[in-house]
Amino acid sequence: MAVMTESDVQKTAAPARGLGGAWAILLLVGVVIAVIGLALLRNQQGQPTDGTAPDFTLTGLDGTPFRLSEQRGRIVVLNFWASWCAPCADEAPALQALSARYAVSHPGRVQFVGVTHSDEPDDSAAFVARYGITYPNLPDTRADVSKRLYRITGVPETFLIDAEGQVVGFFYSAVDPVALAAAIDPLLAAAS
Amino acid sequence: MIAEIGTAALALSLAAAIYSIIASVIGARERDSRLIDSGRMAGLLTFPLISVASVALLAALLTQQYQIAYVWTVSAPDTPDFFRITALWGSQQGSLLFWSLLMSLFAFVALWTHWRAYRPLMPYVTAFTMATLAFFLAISLFMENPFARFWITPGLAPDAGVPSYTLIPPDATAPDALLLAQTARGLNPLLRHFGMIIHPPMLYLGFVGFTIPFAFAMSALASGDVSVNWIKATRRWTLIAWLFLSLGLILGGRWAYDVLGWGGYWGWDPVENAALLPWLIGTGFLHSVMIQEKRGMLKVWNMFLVVFTFSAVIFGTFATRSGLVESVHSFAQSEIGIPMFLFWAAMTLIAVYLILLRWRQGVLKDEHAFAGILSRESLFVLNNVIFVALTLAIFWGSFGAPILSELFAGTEITLGAEYFNLVTAPLFLVLYLLMGIAPLAAWGAMSFGRLGRSLLRPLIGTGVALVVVYLLGARSLGALVGYGAVLFAAIVALWEIGRGAVARRTATGDSLVMAVIHIFGRNRRRYGGFIVHLGISVIGIGVIGSTLYQQETQRTLRPGESLEFGGYTLTYERMLSGQIADDGRIMDIAEMRVARGGADLALLRPRYDFYPEAQGMNTQIIAGAYSTLENDVYVLLSGFENGDGTTAPTATFKFYINPLINLVWYGGIVLIVGTLISMAPGAQPATRRVRADADTRVGAAA
Amino acid sequence: MIRLAIALILLACVGVSAQDSEVPITFDQVNVIAEKLYCPVCPNETLEDCQTQACRQWRAEIAEQLAAGQNEQQVIDSFVRRYGERVVAIPQDAGLRALSVVVPYLLAGAIALIGVVTLARWTRRRTKGALAAAPPLKASDDSYRAQMERDL
Repeated sequence: MAVMTESDVQKTAAPARGLGGAWAILLLVGVVIAVIGLALLRNQQGQPTDGTAPDFTLTGLDGTPFRLSEQRGRIVVLNFWASWCAPCADEAPALQALSARYAVSHPGRVQFVGVTHSDEPDDSAAFVARYGITYPNLPDTRADVSKRLYRITGVPETFLIDAEGQVVGFFYSAVDPVALAAAIDPLLAAAS
Repeated sequence: MIAEIGTAALALSLAAAIYSIIASVIGARERDSRLIDSGRMAGLLTFPLISVASVALLAALLTQQYQIAYVWTVSAPDTPDFFRITALWGSQQGSLLFWSLLMSLFAFVALWTHWRAYRPLMPYVTAFTMATLAFFLAISLFMENPFARFWITPGLAPDAGVPSYTLIPPDATAPDALLLAQTARGLNPLLRHFGMIIHPPMLYLGFVGFTIPFAFAMSALASGDVSVNWIKATRRWTLIAWLFLSLGLILGGRWAYDVLGWGGYWGWDPVENAALLPWLIGTGFLHSVMIQEKRGMLKVWNMFLVVFTFSAVIFGTFATRSGLVESVHSFAQSEIGIPMFLFWAAMTLIAVYLILLRWRQGVLKDEHAFAGILSRESLFVLNNVIFVALTLAIFWGSFGAPILSELFAGTEITLGAEYFNLVTAPLFLVLYLLMGIAPLAAWGAMSFGRLGRSLLRPLIGTGVALVVVYLLGARSLGALVGYGAVLFAAIVALWEIGRGAVARRTATGDSLVMAVIHIFGRNRRRYGGFIVHLGISVIGIGVIGSTLYQQETQRTLRPGESLEFGGYTLTYERMLSGQIADDGRIMDIAEMRVARGGADLALLRPRYDFYPEAQGMNTQIIAGAYSTLENDVYVLLSGFENGDGTTAPTATFKFYINPLINLVWYGGIVLIVGTLISMAPGAQPATRRVRADADTRVGAAA
Repeated sequence: MIRLAIALILLACVGVSAQDSEVPITFDQVNVIAEKLYCPVCPNETLEDCQTQACRQWRAEIAEQLAAGQNEQQVIDSFVRRYGERVVAIPQDAGLRALSVVVPYLLAGAIALIGVVTLARWTRRRTKGALAAAPPLKASDDSYRAQMERDL
């Protein structure tokens, strides 16, 4: 077989005409790559562990609407859970106890709120009743808040939001009530 | 010690790969044969170096060095030695090293065997294989190092998790060895099955195998030698890669069927599909490459095919390890997503650019440019259209639509089996029809009449077979059309083999058996190909049967209770709960007797395994199955209640009848045999002809 | 009085259990629907195959809806309404469904078009007579081409 060197190629070949369209192929490939890249970047973003907490409005199990931005001035403990999740059941009594404690020691300063991730509202209601939870719980069956806004990767996950609406704490998996209290107390002290 | 050796070997091999790229490219451009040879040496060196690293990791696994984070993650003191060895590719870091090992091995063989025959191409072949290898080595060395060890540093909180480091941090102390051994994770229970052990190596061999044709194609473009040389060099590589990829896919299906406990073998999960994409394009490439070899046509098209096969390979690896889409196969969200994406994007764009450049320069011109509308060439083009269409459709369903929907419509969608069956079934149907028609079509051009005459007898045969199928119970139009197409392809394959054997027998007086052996020997590629088509048809029959005619039911039974299902009598005899296996798992085994028409057929033992030590996935449902050619009687234990004083103990089972499913596995074996025949080196044609002439002369004289 | 009360209570119990035993939902009835739905939290597993607590609760939900008299489409619709399109194998929303199913056929058509154009170019050249159909084999290619001819 005759071996063609690069200079041979340029000398003997006649340029193919009308191949402007061929570069469209490169463009097409580039667009596909770009879209995949965009999706990857979106995917790689983790939970919001600082900055402004994404705002949302959900209707609670009892029918009362809840809007996060209306809680400005209060510290918010945002807990994502589901009735089928065992660690959520482990942490529920501790969260309820903490909520009750702050309701007595610092009334109106700390708002606990639960958001259920892809959970049947009836099952969520049964869970709430079983653990005697008094703070609002909002069903998020479409996972718009839990997955799209807060990008949680599982339940339970808890976010601590200060009175200015900034995320200042993130707890992955079941919350240790001591650690949570240790994070809330300085915020209360600073504000007063 | 082992960790240091391993990391050093990795670092040296990365250095060798990078040097090899530079030396080969500069050598090629400057025509400096010493640089080129030096680049080749460096490339050859990567294999022994990575082997050292692999042996080091293996040694670490076998000697239970739990301070090495990888060993701690994939093994535990009670892990049997066999699984210690297979744990080498059990998790991310090990599997990346394993990939590099195979890549360097294939590069070694390619650089060793093809150096003299294809000298002008080889420098760039070195460069491109080493570029791919260097990427994976860099990931292994800097991001997912299998030799990272746990070290306790002074500032660490007492109950915090101990991080792992590649380089020893200052003032570090090793964690307590006993504590490490006690807390070691152990191999994921899912990976303790034969199919799962062999499925990743097979897949990697397939993926890595396709890198060699890609490197040769890129070399053809870069060096300017776009003759059929690069195809000649890589024909066997393509077949080998294709074989391993096919095996990997079939074994993955078998593993899913045996161990994942949902009665099926292909879930259309995005990561499964990502491994199917290179197989589809690769098969199209295998076929259209024949047109370039024979007629010098489709040069640009073949370049695109081989580039996109490689691109699909890298994309598949990227999609699996980056968590791009949710999948049951996903490794944990890892940080290598972005580097893998960049590598995939860069390689694909560079390759496409090179093709377009050469195309523009008029270098990739077809040698002949004629074919009739009805000819082998045009049917091969149709074949390619279908394979590419299948690839695009499956890519769209697994990645395109879900990603676009989430990014721009804000809605998360799932596209599952229902979607894929709807979209791909018609395309597969046409593919089987083509498998039947194309071998009967002539090169160049043929008339409809001639094609019709060639098709007549195979079509009659298909008709007869369909009547049999109908009588055996297949009544729906969809099933008959599907079986018809698949049987048609199989009958044409058998027909062509028969025709060739009869022609040989007429010419030389051989017996029929000798004739068959002879034609296989002289035309391995052609007749091996027919066997592969036969294998694909057998798989097709199995797929249609098990998909369209599957029966399932779920019942709760008391011990001694029977169930009539699908013509079988299934009796739940008893439960053996709390059995402890030698690897510590706790098994609950149900005994189910299968009988038909009063005759006892088998005792099945579906079971529920619980691994008390394992993290995460710690239960498994293992089916009990009675397999015959006709079907599988497949039973899963879904759950059981022990019963208290007043209520009887019960167990809940899922029963499946999967007709013809074993043809999927047997078809796979036929496929392997056919591919091996195709790949076998043949004797030189000239000597063969002389010997044959001598034989006939002797025979005539006698 | 007490006897009347007991009788009423017994009647009520009988009435209730008679209600329940009218529509016993079998596993198979649930599975027919469950295999068309996907687990909202486990990736790519159908509601039928998924073994988690969450999926068990959802299958129980399907059974409840069936017992209440809903048909298959209604159950699927209620799941889609609550959990979104991610729980079905083909989107229920017409727009998304069209996007998912039509595009592959469009892509196939685009590729087929390329194929047709290629074939058209191949057959056109013949009438022009510009390029020979099968030029004689070059000497250096002889053995290779001969092998090809025989092999294929």
